[in-house]
Amino acid sequence: MKKLTQEQLNGWLDSLAQEQTLIAPVNLEDKLLYREVSGSQGIAWGFEQTDMSPKTWLFPATEPILKIVQGETVAVEPVDAPAPKVVFGVRPCDARGALAIDALFLDKDPMDGQYARHREATTLIGLACPQMWESCFCTVLGGAPNSTEGLDILLTEVDGGYAIQAVSEKGKALAAGMPGDDEDLTLPEPVLKEGLPALRSTDEWKEKFGEQFWSRVSDRCLGCRACTFVCPTCRCFDVRDEVVKRRPGEQVFERLRAWDACTVSAYRRIAGGHNPRPTQHMRLRNRFYCKFMYYPEDFNALGCVGCGRCIDACPVGIDILEVVAAVDEMVT
Amino acid sequence: MSTMEERIRDAAREYLEQEKVTCVIGYERSARGVVRPAFIYEADDVERLIWGEDCNLDLVTYLHNFKHPPGRGVPIPKVAVVVRPCDARALNLLLYEQQIQRENVKVIGLTCAGTTIRGEPRTACQFCSERVPVVYDVLIEADGEIDVPAVQDEYADVQEMDDWTPAERLSYWAREFDRCIRCYACRQACPGCYCYECVAEQVEPHWSSIALELPEKHFFHVMRAFHLAGRCVECDACEAVCPMDIPLSKLNRKLAKEVEALFGYRTGDDPETAPPLATFDPQEQLRM
Amino acid sequence: MTSEERFEPKIVGFLCNWCSYAGADLAGTSRASYPQNLRIIRVPCSGRVDPLFVLKAFQDGADGVMVLGCHPGDCHYQQGNYFAQRRYALMHRLLEFTGLEADRLFVEWVSASEGKKFADVTTAFTDKIRELGPSPLKREQEVLEQARQEVMA
Repeated sequence: MKKLTQEQLNGWLDSLAQEQTLIAPVNLEDKLLYREVSGSQGIAWGFEQTDMSPKTWLFPATEPILKIVQGETVAVEPVDAPAPKVVFGVRPCDARGALAIDALFLDKDPMDGQYARHREATTLIGLACPQMWESCFCTVLGGAPNSTEGLDILLTEVDGGYAIQAVSEKGKALAAGMPGDDEDLTLPEPVLKEGLPALRSTDEWKEKFGEQFWSRVSDRCLGCRACTFVCPTCRCFDVRDEVVKRRPGEQVFERLRAWDACTVSAYRRIAGGHNPRPTQHMRLRNRFYCKFMYYPEDFNALGCVGCGRCIDACPVGIDILEVVAAVDEMVT
Repeated sequence: MSTMEERIRDAAREYLEQEKVTCVIGYERSARGVVRPAFIYEADDVERLIWGEDCNLDLVTYLHNFKHPPGRGVPIPKVAVVVRPCDARALNLLLYEQQIQRENVKVIGLTCAGTTIRGEPRTACQFCSERVPVVYDVLIEADGEIDVPAVQDEYADVQEMDDWTPAERLSYWAREFDRCIRCYACRQACPGCYCYECVAEQVEPHWSSIALELPEKHFFHVMRAFHLAGRCVECDACEAVCPMDIPLSKLNRKLAKEVEALFGYRTGDDPETAPPLATFDPQEQLRM
Repeated sequence: MTSEERFEPKIVGFLCNWCSYAGADLAGTSRASYPQNLRIIRVPCSGRVDPLFVLKAFQDGADGVMVLGCHPGDCHYQQGNYFAQRRYALMHRLLEFTGLEADRLFVEWVSASEGKKFADVTTAFTDKIRELGPSPLKREQEVLEQARQEVMA
């Protein structure tokens, strides 16, 4: 396996940033977010878990999907294809999160063209976790702190540097340009957590749909979008046609899509005012059921990867692991 | 002498046992040690209620969830809510704005020496000299003397920013709003924000793009601050809930400072006085 | 600098129907000229001007915003301008606090007979904005990038 020292890695990242857009975790006023960097010195080395996942680089928080020019005739123009980019420092859970979004946007007909283009243009370089962090529970969902699933390259910290595993064809091509020497390396086993609950089957979740537990846990839900936006698998969005500019004789519109969340009251409200999920109880329950029952049944993928960000982001202490444990207990 | 926590539980137990309320809204601690709102429906459950200096959410916002009849012919439920002095003024605001009726709420008022967020005293608490809630049905007083910190200038941090140039201020807010993810936690946590449909989400008329970008985020925060002008009680819930640690209460407190200077008004001192933007004075002349 | 190169500000004016809009009309009939930069939006009353209108105007590219209404005591709806006075006193301070120069929002009382005053204040305001330059809100993204770079350095 190839091994790189920190210095070699920095040098390689610096030259990579010259050729392509390089994205990595950055410290912005003590928040760790994935942003574009001009080189290795902009990276927040030594981070545990970031505050936002790198999801926005595959599925942007806001993006135009069409341009419509209305003059004497109406012309629909496609938007520019995304430029190639590399996201560095992706945790294994976030890579599995991308796979979860693939299950809907790529594997189901019709394919989401915009998402597919981002996926194609992006290389994910992972950084294995030496341990599970405070809010993590990836193992409950079948993941691991050193999983290579969904990554193009995985770096693991070893004595004196990083071990490089090129996982995909894209990863192998990129890793070929990395410096470093081949060494006989044993990768350290990450430290796992004990005593985590078991994830129950979709049938068992279905049985517990009517439990009073759901209304109790949702009493304190504020109906904000924090959990959904920090989540690496949540992929619901809103679409609006908005005026971009007016030219003499013409109007130019953009069909914009932006992240949205099922936890918000207006999310499921339809024309005429009817809302199939009128109470916060129904909306919050839907969020958990989507992750652990509907998504697995419809798309064969779990809607949660155990990154724990929603636990940290939720201002009122709604804890998804507590929910999983509660269902586990309800079934036992 | 029982602790504050014990007396809060006693008050809650009494209200529930005597069926004066269906629910008591207070604070509890999760297994991880995180403080969060607690909804107690049974007298046996009151042991969940706690009180500590990290209890920093405004629980009055939850009264909006209990203000409508749950069904036709079903009366509006009565609830009890634990309030700190700032929260009590939010209650008065909601009473003035006729969102709730006084007879439907039992107020468990706490004397307060300030609460913390992430170990630090909260912004509003650093400048607050209020110790006793202005409205309560039962008052739970602190164990022993409250150490009243010397409060110099109530708006010192806002004043400091007032002395910067406009360019410096724009630079500051651009950096802070950049981290915003438009999750609306600030809006949802605020007792004064209860519009059925927020202008930030309205399609018709279309005030704001749905884009999660800097101009929209700037617009949302400035607009929200303005909609709370003369209505904000400076409970700092907005800042406490922000997942990106944006110093939101500075915006609201700037307006509170101006409201106090121009109109001598503090929000929520009583449920009858109109907030300054809901009324006018034909004699006054203001620099606009 | 030729007129092609000179910055021409976009000014949006909210004029109340009964006083300031009539005043603007009078400026027109009296041939009291004022700059063409002004885009007038007629509202029934200055009290109708929601701060959202002002914010949105700036967001959509205005370099300066005017709100003109009846003199206090003369409002066609009795009270509208009293509310406007309070509202704009506060809005001004909030906009200043979040990075807009104080001079970019101008609120004044102009009656139906004050055609000359209308032309004068509009001209003075436009000149002031021309001097101040384009609204900094249009460059907020640039300001952000610069601020971040300064912190990194």
